[in-house]
Amino acid sequence: MRFADLLRLTVENLAVHRLRAALTILGIAIGIAAVIAVVAIGQGGQAVLLSEIEKLGSSRAFNISVDVLRGEAPTADTFKLEDIAIIKELSPAVEKLAPVTSGMMISIRRPHSQAKPVLSQLVGTTPDLTAVMNLPVASGRFFSAADVTARRRVVVLDGGLAEILFPNGDALGRQVFVQDVPATVIGVTEKQSSQLLGAMSLNKYAFVPITFAQDILNTRVIHELDGVAVTEAAVPQAIEDSIKIFRKRHPAAGVHYTGMSKKEGLALIGKVTGVMTLIVGAVAAIALLVGGVGVMNIMLVAVTERTREVGLLMAIGARRRDILQQFLAEAVALCLVGGAFGVLFGAGGALAIARFAHWPPLVSVWTVLLAFGFAAAVGLFFGLYPASRAASFSPAEALRQL
Amino acid sequence: MIKVEGLSKVYGHGPARVVALSNVSLEIRTGEFVAVMGPSGSGKSTFLNILGCLERPSAGRYFLDGRDTTLLDEDELAHLRNRRFGFVFQTFNLLPRHSVLRNVELPLVYAGASPGERRERATVMLERVGLGHRLKHKPPTLSGGEQQRVAIARALVNDPAVILADEPTGNLDSRNSHEIMALFRELHNEGRTIVMVTHEPDIARYAGRILYFLDGAVVREEAVTA
Repeated sequence: MRFADLLRLTVENLAVHRLRAALTILGIAIGIAAVIAVVAIGQGGQAVLLSEIEKLGSSRAFNISVDVLRGEAPTADTFKLEDIAIIKELSPAVEKLAPVTSGMMISIRRPHSQAKPVLSQLVGTTPDLTAVMNLPVASGRFFSAADVTARRRVVVLDGGLAEILFPNGDALGRQVFVQDVPATVIGVTEKQSSQLLGAMSLNKYAFVPITFAQDILNTRVIHELDGVAVTEAAVPQAIEDSIKIFRKRHPAAGVHYTGMSKKEGLALIGKVTGVMTLIVGAVAAIALLVGGVGVMNIMLVAVTERTREVGLLMAIGARRRDILQQFLAEAVALCLVGGAFGVLFGAGGALAIARFAHWPPLVSVWTVLLAFGFAAAVGLFFGLYPASRAASFSPAEALRQL
Repeated sequence: MIKVEGLSKVYGHGPARVVALSNVSLEIRTGEFVAVMGPSGSGKSTFLNILGCLERPSAGRYFLDGRDTTLLDEDELAHLRNRRFGFVFQTFNLLPRHSVLRNVELPLVYAGASPGERRERATVMLERVGLGHRLKHKPPTLSGGEQQRVAIARALVNDPAVILADEPTGNLDSRNSHEIMALFRELHNEGRTIVMVTHEPDIARYAGRILYFLDGAVVREEAVTA
């Protein structure tokens, strides 16, 4: 049988029950649309997240902490402020190294104000952090090493946080209470433009000298260190040197010092978000599976209805493989048309959501090809049983059917 | 030439076992017109189905032009049905959603003929059965006699040597029946072998020989004298 004949018969046969075909196609379209939309949104979000994190700071950045995967947490003896200077002195690979003592949900409020306090993320550190993170100061200045040494009660507010506390834009030089400790605003950074990081409330930072943070939080624990290596190639060396020195200086710390370059961090985030996209995509694929069951159901109905026709076709010379091919072609055609609509719906949905969320949708050629491949596979898989059933009839038996 | 030896067909097993044919042996010469008669359930349709390779016998052998068809595989049988046999059924078995022309073209589709050749041969056949003016019609819009003529055109389109007809006039009135039989007589005169199952004695008399079936066996044979 010629391919053109197969195609023509397939279209003619499906056109007999238009509504039935359309509903089956809809089932597949929904499944494919779900998969495409989820994967496109996931990949788009991943790309945005990675690019924003990348923009956040130096590509030479690295981070030293303890092995949280083993449930370890730093204590006051894990990292010491004195270690920093020694590492910078001893390792030629390390250019900057900033200790970070952070506090979550730290309330900041204006004095004599009825306004609700704002919950912020307090970052106690040293000026070295400005080399690690992009912290462009919009007005005023970042605190200095002298501020750190003198335990000065000064604070640098993130632009977003400053806007909430001082809507008039006159934050500079004003007083705020950080957990009821008065401090002077000496600088405001530029507002984070990122919606995504904003949604994760990563834009409510308050930066203070680490010595001041120790007073506010009443702790000597340094949670982690963020550093910058002299070159990108020197990052592994910088990490290795830092860890070696920490181990030597605190042999009884009882923790595993670990370091991660920014590159590794990005790769890890990419991997994690990729796996999440895959999992959500797999859930969406269940919709496709349901659509496939619909195809199988409708093909079984078609085989039953057309048993006599199968007998006649065999009587005039159709081979078993012609019959198999015919019913398979119908199932696959349903799925491919469904796939085409699904790609349209899915890409449209992804586009709409991406517009809403302000991130670029990623409907890649691969996603579309994969979806089509999937649709064809669903058609073959769910069409095979009904088709082979039709092909297995004996012609005389099939002709006896009503 | 058709030759069967010890042909048997059994359906089901156990208490549901039905013997449709038991130990039938006979010959049908090339170009012969044979009518098969007998009451319902006498095995005459089963006999015709086996001759047309629509089903396989349970036992016995069936030689078509000296070739043992019981040794052929499914694809070879499909090829035989396509090229050697033309089937005509009591209920016509036309595909209602396809035009008359498409219905007649269908055997050529499975034979792999080109669209141009198919159209030409199908048109010639339909003109021959007097339906050249009905090519685009859908079968349900035609009368019974016209539908059966479409079915005959379809049976003839691959120029088969053997026409197998299962009560071809069973659903037709007397006038149409005799028109169809006139067509069969023409085919017989062209040298085609015809095996026709029928209930009606006056239809059977168009044949040259009548086989009487009873309980799955040929009980009587009669030569028709003109």
